[in-house]
Amino acid sequence: MLKKRRKAAFRWWLNRGIWYWFVVAVFLVFVRFSKGALILDTFSLISRPFWPGSAQREWISNGIDLEQEIRLRLLEKDNERLRKLLKLKTTSKQTLLSAAVISRRARDFWQLLDLNKGSLHGVSVGDAVLGPGGLLGIIDSVTSTTSTVRLLTAPGTKVGVWIEETKVHGVLLGIGTNRPQLNFLDKAPNAKAGDVVSTSPASTLMPPNLPVGVIQFINFENLPSPYGFVQLIASPEAIDWVQIKKLK
Amino acid sequence: MRKESKRTLYICLGALVPLFTLFSPPFFSIGGVGPEWAVLWILPWALEEGPLSGIFAGFCLGMILDGISLYGATHTPALILLGYWWGLLGRKQKFFDKVFLLGLLGWLGSFISGIFLWLQNIFLVTEGKLFFYNVWSFHTILAASIMTGLIAPILCSIILRAFFSGKNLKVIFI
Repeated sequence: MLKKRRKAAFRWWLNRGIWYWFVVAVFLVFVRFSKGALILDTFSLISRPFWPGSAQREWISNGIDLEQEIRLRLLEKDNERLRKLLKLKTTSKQTLLSAAVISRRARDFWQLLDLNKGSLHGVSVGDAVLGPGGLLGIIDSVTSTTSTVRLLTAPGTKVGVWIEETKVHGVLLGIGTNRPQLNFLDKAPNAKAGDVVSTSPASTLMPPNLPVGVIQFINFENLPSPYGFVQLIASPEAIDWVQIKKLK
Repeated sequence: MRKESKRTLYICLGALVPLFTLFSPPFFSIGGVGPEWAVLWILPWALEEGPLSGIFAGFCLGMILDGISLYGATHTPALILLGYWWGLLGRKQKFFDKVFLLGLLGWLGSFISGIFLWLQNIFLVTEGKLFFYNVWSFHTILAASIMTGLIAPILCSIILRAFFSGKNLKVIFI
């Protein structure tokens, strides 16, 4: 008796199967357009025991020291220049949020990281993500407890940068390889291999003067304007903790 | 266990596909590129359940994988095509009788899906410029195909025997 009832109960949803599958399909379309909200949150819940421990914080703090040194120099120069020119009083609010990397797909078609802080912690799309040493990428999408970072090396990532020493502006374009391409805006830029590249203060999308990388090579003969390749300071393959810098 | 409940269990195991993709275990990867878990899931499913179920599974997994990746290229068309193709192959039972064929199908499936993504990257994401340096994509495609092709004969034959009848499967273990 019991077995029969169980069988019948089993068939009950099988007979109407196609409508249930339709609901499933609609649900999955929702999942796709919410950029994986439920999946990423579930993953964040499941992978909680495997999140990187705090041992790496110390290692990162060494990297941060170097980064702070470079940035301090850049900021001081920038401040000096601004005060001289505009007499502006800038209040720089350091809003850094540290987050653990819970999924790392740096060498796939989509070069991305998933972090364990989301909109509940105040992360929003477009925030800059810093690793030890410099800029790593930009927040591409946010769920309630996770966020996805588009790395600087990912194809199509564009960041406005400049060389602080010579005030040469350019656009850093991710092309999928380890070294993003730096397209200069001038025809004859005053730049050389070895210059430090940082985010441009003219950009409204990124916080200014975050260290990005070092120029490895410049092709001056390219038309219409030269390009170069930039070796990033921060390497996404080895990082377990990152810092999110809010734009506002 | 009855056949239907085994089948339901296998559908539930589909939830492991996004989880494995997110975990991307480093011991299952070449140069940071892991196998295509969606292809590994769809292969036994489509071979046993036919083209329509294959198309539907490809659509569902494509939606899930697009959800957890960045905007731009999409997995869905390649997975739908693979589901359909493998569904048709499953009907021709003479063709599908060797364990090692699973490896070849996994390799081809992953390669095709990679080529689809690569073409989308060229023509949609980077707007028609045929970048020579897009050759890095070949590393990704080949690494993913090799890992999928290596895992498929072992994993898919286990799946076929555990979750489906596996009557078409002639195992050549000496």
